[in-house]
Amino acid sequence: MDNKLLGLFIVFAPLSLLSFGGGQAIVADIQYQTVTVHGYLSNAQFADLFAVSRAAPGPSTLIAALIGYQVAGFWGAIVACLGIYVPSSLLVYGIASWWQKHKTSPVKIAVERGLAPVAVGLIFAGALAVVRAALANEPNNIIVALELVTLAICCSIFYFSKIGSYTVVFTTGGLFFLIHLLAF
Amino acid sequence: MADDTPPQDKPDGARGSAFDVLMSFLKIGGSAFGGSTQAMVFREVVDRRQWMNEQQFLVGQAIAQVLPGANPVNLALYMGLKVAGGLGAAAAVFGMVIPAFCIIMAMGFAYSELSSLPVTSFVLHGVAAAGVGATISQGLKTTRKLPKRASTIIVGLGVFVAIGLLRWPMIPVVIVAVPLSIVWAYLDQRRAA
Repeated sequence: MDNKLLGLFIVFAPLSLLSFGGGQAIVADIQYQTVTVHGYLSNAQFADLFAVSRAAPGPSTLIAALIGYQVAGFWGAIVACLGIYVPSSLLVYGIASWWQKHKTSPVKIAVERGLAPVAVGLIFAGALAVVRAALANEPNNIIVALELVTLAICCSIFYFSKIGSYTVVFTTGGLFFLIHLLAF
Repeated sequence: MADDTPPQDKPDGARGSAFDVLMSFLKIGGSAFGGSTQAMVFREVVDRRQWMNEQQFLVGQAIAQVLPGANPVNLALYMGLKVAGGLGAAAAVFGMVIPAFCIIMAMGFAYSELSSLPVTSFVLHGVAAAGVGATISQGLKTTRKLPKRASTIIVGLGVFVAIGLLRWPMIPVVIVAVPLSIVWAYLDQRRAA
């Protein structure tokens, strides 16, 4: 049991520092380490856990929690989470506190101004990626239209009002549930 | 040019309590489905709580994206640190991870039953559409606040076209775009000075 906990930490801690751009970057390595190298899971189990991690809220790296639970129960989930989040968080903490304490200088202003348009480009690219993934395998034009209308309405709500995102998200989920009950 | 004045940094230090940070991020952590977390953090931190302005948020978002680690966790850490120091950073990460941890464990148990129901994917598609709405709204709000300069427009559009339309991998594009954009901004400043 203890060996498994240690093994989980050793699998996830290095991947934490390699997870550039988030979980997608290391999914292949997680699969290789947990299925092929350590034999903690079968390929089918891994595929199921991956699907759950995509459907759940929060970071996709939480697949570590699911794998940890499969391997070593509740404490396995906790240890896997610590492994995947602590190393990268310490790094971000160090850099962010250094950055926020640093006095304003021409170089700092240039860095902030230079980062801003890159971030904005990534925001729109991310939106497009999610739309593409959601509509890719949808044969029903009515559902496509329904999703696009939902997108437009929610975007307007977010742009023009101060209603919290959790309210909008849960209302939308509830409405889709009702639509499904009534129409299908 | 009014657009060119640097964003006024509010004085550093605590501007919100770690408890407020915890409450905000617990709500985000439990509702941020479908890869739109940053838009929901923006909603809470900039639109509602007004702990910082759009420009300050973008800096944190860029740092969270460039460094390794889950973007939502990095973003929470940066925002919590800026609003309420080290305790705020811990509160934000805790708030971001714990609800999602509980939900994903519950879903792990229920998955075999729920995944076979068509209603599950239908509801998740609706939730994803709402998330994209939040993301586009955030993009529009921050775009409006960017300085209207050739460098900003070319870099922003270039990153969108390369990653969004051409689907080039994010990491190499960012590695090229970030230094280029910073040097360009620095040269613009020197010319203006």
